[in-house]
Amino acid sequence: MANAQETHEVPAADAEPLLRTVELTRHFRLGGLFANEVLHAVDDLNIAIQEREIVALVGESGSGKSTVARLLARLYPPTRGEIFYRGRPIQKLRSRKDLLWYRGEVTIVLQDPFSAFHPVFRVSHGVMRNLALHRRELSRDERRQEAARVFESVGLSAKMLSRYAYEMSGGERQRVGFAQALAVRPKLILADEPVSMLDVSIRAGVLNMMAGLRDQEGVSILYITHDIASARYVADRIIVMYAGHLVEAGPAETVLSDPKHPYTQLLLSAAADPRDHVTLISADSGEPPKVVNPSEGCRFRWRCPHAIEKCSQVTPRPTPIGSREVACHVAVAQAEGVPLPAETASASNS
Amino acid sequence: MAVTEIALSEPPVAGDATGAPRRFFRAVLRNRKATVGALILLLIAFVAAFPGAVANHPPEATLYAPNAGPSSSHLLGTTSLGQDVFSQLVYSTRLTLVVTLIVSLIATFVSMIVGVTSAYVGGVTDRVLMVITDVFLILPVLPLLILLAAYLPPGVTSLTVVLCITSWAFQARQLRSQGQTLRNRDFLLAARARGERGIYIILVEIVPTMTSLLVASFLSLAVYVVGFAATLQFLGLGNSSELMWGTMLYNAQQASALEAGNAWWALGPGAAVALLGTGFALVNYAFDEIGNPALRPVRRRRRRGRATA
Amino acid sequence: MAEPLLEVDALSVDYLTESGDVRAVDDVSFRVDEGEFLGIVGESGCGKSTLLFAVAQLLSPPGEVAGGAVAFHGTDMVRLGREDLRHMRWRDYSLVMQSAMNALNPMKSVAAQFSDTLAAHGGATGDEARGRSVEVMQLVGIDPVHLESYPHQLSGGMRQRAMIAMALLFTPQLVIMDEPTSALDVVAQQSLMTKVKDLQHRLGFAVIFVTHDMSLVSRYSDRVLVMYAGQVAEAATTDAIFSEPRHPYTRGLMSAFPSLRGPRRELLGIPGRPPDLAHPPTGCRFHPRCPEVMPQCLTIEPDLYAVGQTDVRCLLYVEQAKQAV
Repeated sequence: MANAQETHEVPAADAEPLLRTVELTRHFRLGGLFANEVLHAVDDLNIAIQEREIVALVGESGSGKSTVARLLARLYPPTRGEIFYRGRPIQKLRSRKDLLWYRGEVTIVLQDPFSAFHPVFRVSHGVMRNLALHRRELSRDERRQEAARVFESVGLSAKMLSRYAYEMSGGERQRVGFAQALAVRPKLILADEPVSMLDVSIRAGVLNMMAGLRDQEGVSILYITHDIASARYVADRIIVMYAGHLVEAGPAETVLSDPKHPYTQLLLSAAADPRDHVTLISADSGEPPKVVNPSEGCRFRWRCPHAIEKCSQVTPRPTPIGSREVACHVAVAQAEGVPLPAETASASNS
Repeated sequence: MAVTEIALSEPPVAGDATGAPRRFFRAVLRNRKATVGALILLLIAFVAAFPGAVANHPPEATLYAPNAGPSSSHLLGTTSLGQDVFSQLVYSTRLTLVVTLIVSLIATFVSMIVGVTSAYVGGVTDRVLMVITDVFLILPVLPLLILLAAYLPPGVTSLTVVLCITSWAFQARQLRSQGQTLRNRDFLLAARARGERGIYIILVEIVPTMTSLLVASFLSLAVYVVGFAATLQFLGLGNSSELMWGTMLYNAQQASALEAGNAWWALGPGAAVALLGTGFALVNYAFDEIGNPALRPVRRRRRRGRATA
Repeated sequence: MAEPLLEVDALSVDYLTESGDVRAVDDVSFRVDEGEFLGIVGESGCGKSTLLFAVAQLLSPPGEVAGGAVAFHGTDMVRLGREDLRHMRWRDYSLVMQSAMNALNPMKSVAAQFSDTLAAHGGATGDEARGRSVEVMQLVGIDPVHLESYPHQLSGGMRQRAMIAMALLFTPQLVIMDEPTSALDVVAQQSLMTKVKDLQHRLGFAVIFVTHDMSLVSRYSDRVLVMYAGQVAEAATTDAIFSEPRHPYTRGLMSAFPSLRGPRRELLGIPGRPPDLAHPPTGCRFHPRCPEVMPQCLTIEPDLYAVGQTDVRCLLYVEQAKQAV
């Protein structure tokens, strides 16, 4: 897909994606001053987001997906690597003017509709502040009108501007979150698990609204979730992360109908569909590792039914297979028709 | 997870100021401690505002028989100079109350700025501010005051200054802790993400959510200031010609009131100080209970009719 | 038919608030037989957690039982005194509450908490307690070496399983679970459910499983109760509910799940939001959101009508129920 090809072709003027990361890495130091434990939240991530598309970033907790959102929103800097927005390296932005420009192009919607709002102010507060900061050209009256317009575009009535957060339901609050993000006329919305805390019957409305934003307002969305079924519903492309690494990425239908990476396969088998009560139980009872001071090798190998020796020695890099990329030695070997060495038991701990 | 699953409205988050005045008023009425405390404070405020309505003699006129015990025309007796103690007490209320309020306000404000900035900015700033706070916390107050007394002109202004300096540090740490818990709340992340400046975030986003803690700080400080101001004045650090309860205590002590037989000259202001402190303390307790339903005494309610119209 | 393990009969629970009494659970009846897995499904505000609290006799003011009975093996639990209840608790039935993993005492090791629980309900002490703790940890698939760990040293999934182990200390006949998987990821959820079902087969206890996620119960439950606004909307065997949901709310819930297989259809969800139980709608409580609403739905409150194997609270089925009689 996009970034794999970029390293091999001279990028044409219109091939520059909206947002692109290069070896994006973020580590956190654990413990006190003298502790030597480094948590690897995200390692060497190369992703790209085009205009007018919804990209789903799928993974369990500890996969690094929320960290990616916060990195892209510039809530903290990366440990290594770069982020390019419209070709500009955003790490180099220094002046307040540039920073505000970026924040007006890329906005974030947070997960918890219950704590994402200031408890004292009305819900119009966030929208009005966003307009004041990023749409300076509007007068006070025009801002009020714009706030109303933006509320309506997410399916809320303008009267709700004067409500307080605790008077609104979870679904309504989440829509306000999107309204706030939209007020600045962004090109990209980073949506961090926007429906996870909502009741199931309300999720559909919010997901449909997101698709509408892409179609009607031309906004791209990075949809971060652990729910692969909703990812299928709204996303054009899917990126699967595990323990800080990208393991598989490609067009949504391709990845989901024919997953190549064993982790993607595991996710699909675990995702339940209420209409489908055939038992598809996997024997897996493992959990994503906390990646502290990791060694080389694939981080999924302990849970992988197909692990071979190479998996504990060489960290697999995302490699193109057809229209997608997969970070798995076994999958790549199979795709290229290379015979595999004898499989060892998945307990190749090193 | 709220046990009450009625509609989807969660209980108001701490610091929720909406409709607060009316709700607060009703809550005060329902809580016995609050009602008593509020009545005390209202009474004292009234006396401070309209001393003439309560006292029947001019406070400083040395017109009467000195060292008299309580009588019908002099409720608390007279001083060694022949002044009516009760009237003095009444007229001293205003300055005492004003000083208490001003000091509490200033100290709360300073501790808020220090605490919240420390919590929000973190890093080196945090450490530096906390070292400063600690220094002020462990300052030995009395030796310092004695030292300052030699240089500062005795009186209300000096008293106010000294009290402010010595009372802000305690609350600063508390407010910092609270600020730290708020630091990663989503609405603050959202404010950062949209590009707000740090100062804006502190003043507009953080401080309003801490109103209940700020009020509690203010009230606790008031209790402390009432007593401590009186103590300082009693020790001679006030101006004995100013009308305050503490200076009355000083004067009474100087004139050996207890031995001379008009003990009320000392007991009167002493009781007044205790009363004001109690008033603040009661309202403080009640405020805790109002703000935090978990602390409310559980009362069995009697069944009433259905809520449906 | 054998005597049911648990029988809830016309149970109603009220919350006594400042502005009047609010009926959070309205006339709910169901039974659980030995070894049965009952799923109770509903969204926020439907009363399912309140119902659980009431069944487990854990209601505290301002909530109280306003009517009905909860009978365990024929004994009415609502009328039992505290001592008798304490004796029953954990031996005959136990609980795994929502985010139970946050209910573990962070200052004590897992082993200490297990011993406390055993001691509190008159169980084994000392070495025997130790032996039993090891047993239950093995049952849920945790290496007993973790008994010495503190809760923060265990992962979320392990803590949840430790809570289930704690619930099994006395091998009760009934285990009540309130959204035990809500804080877990998809894969961990499935493995936990599989483990619970496996244990159920081995030890024979009954399960009441409360959740908002229908997909969790679809594979594991024998029967399902769908709740809405404090009432039972539909009750049937799992197969019946999933193959032929009758109540428009159930159908709405089912269609709110995006599918992983088959063509992409438009998701509809259910517009509007659950009613304020202090002022419920007139007639059928679902009518403001119902895609199949009829004029009489605004005035007539439907009863539970038996249609085939299903009980459904919907006026669409009044005629069918009458004919069946």
